[in-house]
Amino acid sequence: MSFIGASFRRDIEIHRYPLLVYILVPLAALVAQAWLPRVFGQYAYFDLPLVVTIYFALGRRSPIQGTLMGAALGLFEDALSHLAIGLNGIAKSIAGYLAASVGVRIDVENHTIRVALTFLLSLVSGAIYLFVSRFLLGLEFQWNWLGEIFKAIGNSVIVLLLFPLLDRLQLRD
Amino acid sequence: MESFLVRYRNHLVLLTILAAQLIGLGVQVRHSRAGRNSLDPSDSAGVRLIRFWAESMVSPPERLIHGVKSGADNLWTGYLDLRHVRQQNLELEQTIGRLRLEQAALLEDARQGQRLQALLGFQQRYIYATVAAQVFGTSGSDQSRVFYIDKGSDSGLARDMAVVTADGIVGKVRDVFPHNAQVLAINDQTSGAGVLLETTRIRGILKGNVSGQLEVVGVLSDERIKPGEKVVTAGGDLVFPRGLPVGVVSKVASDSDNPAYIDVMVKSSANLDRLDEVLVITSMQPRFSAQEKQDMATSETLDGAQAAAIEQQIQAQQKAAQITAERLPGLTVPNLPPDQQPINDSSPPNPISPQPQSPVHPDEFSPIPGDKVVAGVSDDGAASPAPAAAGKTIAPPGTPPRAENAARNAHATVPPSGRPASTAQAPPAGQTAPGRNP
Repeated sequence: MSFIGASFRRDIEIHRYPLLVYILVPLAALVAQAWLPRVFGQYAYFDLPLVVTIYFALGRRSPIQGTLMGAALGLFEDALSHLAIGLNGIAKSIAGYLAASVGVRIDVENHTIRVALTFLLSLVSGAIYLFVSRFLLGLEFQWNWLGEIFKAIGNSVIVLLLFPLLDRLQLRD
Repeated sequence: MESFLVRYRNHLVLLTILAAQLIGLGVQVRHSRAGRNSLDPSDSAGVRLIRFWAESMVSPPERLIHGVKSGADNLWTGYLDLRHVRQQNLELEQTIGRLRLEQAALLEDARQGQRLQALLGFQQRYIYATVAAQVFGTSGSDQSRVFYIDKGSDSGLARDMAVVTADGIVGKVRDVFPHNAQVLAINDQTSGAGVLLETTRIRGILKGNVSGQLEVVGVLSDERIKPGEKVVTAGGDLVFPRGLPVGVVSKVASDSDNPAYIDVMVKSSANLDRLDEVLVITSMQPRFSAQEKQDMATSETLDGAQAAAIEQQIQAQQKAAQITAERLPGLTVPNLPPDQQPINDSSPPNPISPQPQSPVHPDEFSPIPGDKVVAGVSDDGAASPAPAAAGKTIAPPGTPPRAENAARNAHATVPPSGRPASTAQAPPAGQTAPGRNP
């Protein structure tokens, strides 16, 4: 049974990383997200900053850190686009908060849970983006839910490859 | 109070961050008079500063990656795979020389056309200066189809400059930094360009949809629009010059919101997903470099020399025709005035003989229908013009039946002179042909 009590899990599983990892991994995710669409073209169905946000939120199990990480990466993404700054920031802040909140309660070492959680949080992030832009701000633009599903699938596949690599970077006692 | 902050600190941090971002979003959105909200196309100073920071942090590693990839590509194409390069280089140099002269001639024509259009009051815009740039990154979001190029305000770039490739238009400069610039692609949802359907001359606005495909909106339903029709820029948006290729119509679909309108889907000429090198149109005013001016002068000189050579050639041909006409016998008769000379006679040399009527009671001496006679024989034994054009076997009037038969049998062996071989034994003039009298 993967679902274990929060207090027990929180005591034994808080991942710690060197400071450089907190800086370089999100920066690498931003750079890769900006550069890889030139390679994959229209098939670039992934959101690496969101994946990194979820990873650190799950590993640190701190909603505040998850929120801050999501906000920072989302604002960077917005700043690189031509759209309003804050759309991705809000979506990823909430995604980071939710990931950390869930990570307190469940075993996040299980790959199946990681994949399922990333898939769900990708869709939630898209839904928040749509809600804020269309309903709060009243902006008119088209939305492609099929593309969002493909993106959630792509993120889930990346989790299978990336999370084990990032796990190797954590500090061991 | 302290316990409240400690207990709900996670929620409070989240709410604070969300509220701050929402306020920031509210500042960036503008409410139009039509009741619609839209993003401010020109960023405020604070937003520009944030974009500049983000771009400054992300673009150096991006350019490094792009440089490594380009270096690897160049290592292969520039040093390892060099077969037939020398021969190609010679051919290209010859081609460049020819094209430079052609370009100079075209520039001359364009300048003349501009002068004429200025006289007529037209405002036509031409491309006179471009800056080549390399694409090194994107926004990374499918909601924002922008890309970054490695030239900025230091290279003379400014907002709203058109960005094209050799295949067609790709976007316009949206934001400029000192060494980089952000380009809004034409397939973004917020972009817009005035376009013209080349054959039907129907105008519309080119936009991108959520899938990154191009579509022309605002077009009334028209059955003449078919897939395969070329789409070019209309030149009315003050960004793209007129006549640049955009793409071809791929599909025509009815607008679900308004049945009177149609959506014309367009396949872009340029590969918008795999852009490497682009050209930014920095000037549409006529400015010629010293080299171009020299080429134009050379072209004008060559054109003058070529025209003189053609004139001399025509004169020489006229002289040769006069000499030939003077030397040919029979073409000029000294006694006739010049306007009645045979050389000026335009009547056909061999008029078609009138077709004789067929006999009422044909006998064995009557001409056989379908048999051909090339030349007839007259009473005096001279060959008459052949009525072959009539396609009938006809002897000249007054020809005796036997001579007529002889002529009929001799038509197959007509010498080039037109005189039948059998006429060699024909009696002289005034004599009766053998067998004439029974």
